[in-house]
Amino acid sequence: MRKFVTAVLASMLMSGAALAQEKLVVNGWGGPFQALVMATVAKKFTKETGVPVEIVTGGTIDRLNRARVVKDNPESDVTFTTSHVGWLYVNDGLFEKLDFSKIPNAKNLIPKAKASDYHLGFYGYIYSIAYRTDLVPPGVTFASWQELWKPELKGMIGLADFDASHIIKVATLLDGKPLEDWEAAQPKLMALKPNLKAFYSNSATSIQLMSSGETPVQVLLSSNAYNMMAQGVPLKLAVPKEGAILGLDTIAITKGTKKLELAYKFVNAALDPQVQAEVSKMQKASPVVVGVAVDPDIAKLPGIFSSAEQWDKDALVSNDKVRAEMLGKWNAWFAKNMMN
Amino acid sequence: MANTSAFRSLLLPAGLVALLYATALILVFQYSVREVIPGSLEPGGFTLDNYASLGHPLYLSVFLRTLGMCAATAVIVLLIGYPLAYYMVRARSRFLRSLILLICIMPLFLGDVPRSYAWILMLGANGAVNGALKWVGLIDRPVQMLFTVGGVVVALVHITLPFMTLLLAVGISHIDQLYEKAARSLGANPLRVFLTVTLPLSVPAILAGFMTVFALNFSAYATPIMVGGGKVNMISNVVYQLGIASFNYPFSATLSLISLVAVLAVVGLVGRASRKIGQRYAE
Repeated sequence: MRKFVTAVLASMLMSGAALAQEKLVVNGWGGPFQALVMATVAKKFTKETGVPVEIVTGGTIDRLNRARVVKDNPESDVTFTTSHVGWLYVNDGLFEKLDFSKIPNAKNLIPKAKASDYHLGFYGYIYSIAYRTDLVPPGVTFASWQELWKPELKGMIGLADFDASHIIKVATLLDGKPLEDWEAAQPKLMALKPNLKAFYSNSATSIQLMSSGETPVQVLLSSNAYNMMAQGVPLKLAVPKEGAILGLDTIAITKGTKKLELAYKFVNAALDPQVQAEVSKMQKASPVVVGVAVDPDIAKLPGIFSSAEQWDKDALVSNDKVRAEMLGKWNAWFAKNMMN
Repeated sequence: MANTSAFRSLLLPAGLVALLYATALILVFQYSVREVIPGSLEPGGFTLDNYASLGHPLYLSVFLRTLGMCAATAVIVLLIGYPLAYYMVRARSRFLRSLILLICIMPLFLGDVPRSYAWILMLGANGAVNGALKWVGLIDRPVQMLFTVGGVVVALVHITLPFMTLLLAVGISHIDQLYEKAARSLGANPLRVFLTVTLPLSVPAILAGFMTVFALNFSAYATPIMVGGGKVNMISNVVYQLGIASFNYPFSATLSLISLVAVLAVVGLVGRASRKIGQRYAE
């Protein structure tokens, strides 16, 4: 009896230890994102390596703060985050510098999708102008970002309160100035103020304000627009002639991971063309590598870039390093002058 | 003897909690005197610039607006909550007392966020309130209620009313009804009994309710950001906008500490008033 119990305990301990060694821990967002990664990248990775994947979830900044606290003994092996927040990870020494010889699929990466030598795009999306076709004045189609400043849009526009970089990028673009010279575009931004009605703090509020008609024009996340259109809200997402603001969710390897080789395999799996096609379909997002067979229903959505040429033509890219360094100053100026 | 023993046995855990709280405050304080480094979450060296920045007109106006909204909300909640609390305690019908209690505590089963969303639907241009006003012919165009100070105050009143009502009910329930009977027996009418006996004896409960509602609303975040739509910002929203969302943790620590001092000052003043009133009635 004693021998039996000892054997059972030993096997439990060994299997626990074995599981702990073999699991790859991925740090990312919860909800639909978690489901997306498990159904696509994790599935391919586990099929190829036999190693299961566990996702630890949280908000973007919360995960960054946690990563800083556990820097010397990281809890995850791979990290997903947005491109500009990724620069905060890089500046704090939290990402491995990538050895691209270990990521064969990276050779197909669209140039604008490479955030840095430390973090790479996973999928692309846009921030652009969405509008209620039943509530905006006739003739307003947002063929240009300049139309946001039309007097007939007084008190109709909603903007994000957590990221002023989008509208600042647009203002500098329209004024013909580089992003670094944003202060010269401040009069342009102030001229927009009468048209601003409200500011949303998250996707749920953005959707609520748009679908209720409180802010029939918004600069918002493309996936939110697609979801509302699918729900029957009479909405159009415009891609102005100047282009739409590119957003990039990125993947990186956590510095100090003890499973470096497995982490590289996971990143490589994320850039696999088949996986990218699945991600594009599930997330209604742009793939980041060339040679992906994008679902036709997804490809025809405004703001989906199916080719490198579309990325070059329609995507307005901000320097994420500048964005990470300046976002604090931009948000502070925006809160003081545009919101209050 | 037993009380002293109980006091001593609770001293250690209370001391540990106080120590943890003090440690957290010290950590926040040390952040507030550090420099922000753009592009990094690691703060820099010692600086008093964060406190110097508080002189900007925006912060003063947000502080004053927050104080004003909290005071206004507390007064409105008191005016609505007192009758509810009184009848929750004094109604003869047990069914009525239970019904009032249920109505008061039911909102607490929902968090701030769903209740704030409900107010967006109620107060919106196409919401229930504008719809009702249009239907009875009082207005022909929607009245702007969302994204206004009034709209946020209405939502805050709804959210904090249960707290005031329950605190008042506890206070009123402790008033010995013999005092009221004595006053009636000496010829006082019900209004005079209320004004000269019940109301003065319930002042400690009123002040406790006022302090609680004031403190709760001072730290309100979800309701002003949703019902206010970024146009009506209270101090917590500014802490988020200029601190967390801007990766400026030192400045958010500064704003948070100043807010804590402001609330403690108000609570201290109200507490002092409460003690003076208590002494006066003891005499």
